[in-house]
Amino acid sequence: MSTVILIIIASGFFGFSIFKSKEKTKESLKISKNLLATTFVEIIGVMALVGWVLAIIPPSLIKQWLGNSNQFVSILFAATIGTVTIIPAFIAFPLSQTLLQSGACIAAIAAFITTLTMVGFATMPIEMRFFGKKFTLHRLWLSFLAAIVIALLMGVILG
Amino acid sequence: MKKLKTIMKNNKLIFLSVLLYAITFFVAPQVFFKSVEMTKGFLIQMVEIMPPIFIISSLIMVWIPVGVITKAFGKDSGFKGKLLSVLVGGFSAGPVYAAFPVAQALFYKGASVANTVIIISSWAVIKIVMFMVESNFLGITFASTRYALTIPIIIIMGYVMEKLVSREEVLKEISNTKVVYKSDKDVLRELPNMNCGACGYKSCKDFAQGVMRGEVVIDDCVIRQRAKKTQPTLKEDYQEK
Repeated sequence: MSTVILIIIASGFFGFSIFKSKEKTKESLKISKNLLATTFVEIIGVMALVGWVLAIIPPSLIKQWLGNSNQFVSILFAATIGTVTIIPAFIAFPLSQTLLQSGACIAAIAAFITTLTMVGFATMPIEMRFFGKKFTLHRLWLSFLAAIVIALLMGVILG
Repeated sequence: MKKLKTIMKNNKLIFLSVLLYAITFFVAPQVFFKSVEMTKGFLIQMVEIMPPIFIISSLIMVWIPVGVITKAFGKDSGFKGKLLSVLVGGFSAGPVYAAFPVAQALFYKGASVANTVIIISSWAVIKIVMFMVESNFLGITFASTRYALTIPIIIIMGYVMEKLVSREEVLKEISNTKVVYKSDKDVLRELPNMNCGACGYKSCKDFAQGVMRGEVVIDDCVIRQRAKKTQPTLKEDYQEK
């Protein structure tokens, strides 16, 4: 659904660009081609690695890790698992639901979902290519911290 | 041999995964097929999303003037700029790696470090469609509390990042790694071709061959260095500091 909107926006913008100036459109295509050439291979590599890791670590194992009785330990655990994996949302939310039902604390789930989406260990090489090492590393640890703060507050408010 | 090495170095990840997959194929074939299946799902999503993302990013680069972006997302855009960044991220589509090209284009055009971080983070976390899925599975209280906490924290993160990383540092790092030259002719095209000899080579052609051999980098060209220093967009930022 959102993909369709994205494609519509891109083609609309592109059509407008051709209409306005062929020269500039050509220039933009050249930039697109460069972006494509420098990142596609890398992204495919990342995806292949993530697919491999996910195939090795089944959801049941993640469940085992998150079910720790100590709340803070499980928050840290959850945040770490969320950081190192990329799980598509349509798997992550049902998984979180079963986790909650089987007794995981709300804060840990919040940490898991937040780091899962915001902190990407796997996408780090791609991010570095676009923004350099320093920016990427600072953003990652800050996001990790942010996720833990969010989780703790969630635990206080909802727990 | 050296050429092979650089190819390997530039495509580390893909070589690593090919290796892992090859090993897995022989050791545990069922895991191999499962991971291929997973990867296929990711790749389909990527092929749908990345081409429009690249087109949008490059059109931003070509069309939108620096002034507009600087005004909306630059250092002086203030709190309004931060909110706007959250909105840009929130209304976007695709996984976080799709955010990088767009955010980079905006960054090149004058968006501040803070707002770049806010765009990336909210792109990743704040999604209208995702919100519906989340409240469906985990309850609306859970989802709305998480969003209510996340938005202010992302904005705070932007402020902290601005303190930690400066615009020039990021620009310096990415301008060094951005271009990979295929042959000395590609290098030569970027050179002034004045054969001034200030770099120590006899001519620009020799210098270009030196770049290909890895003896020097292209920015060792004295004329290029001087040209870079007087680039107006960067200069403004230096003065603000």
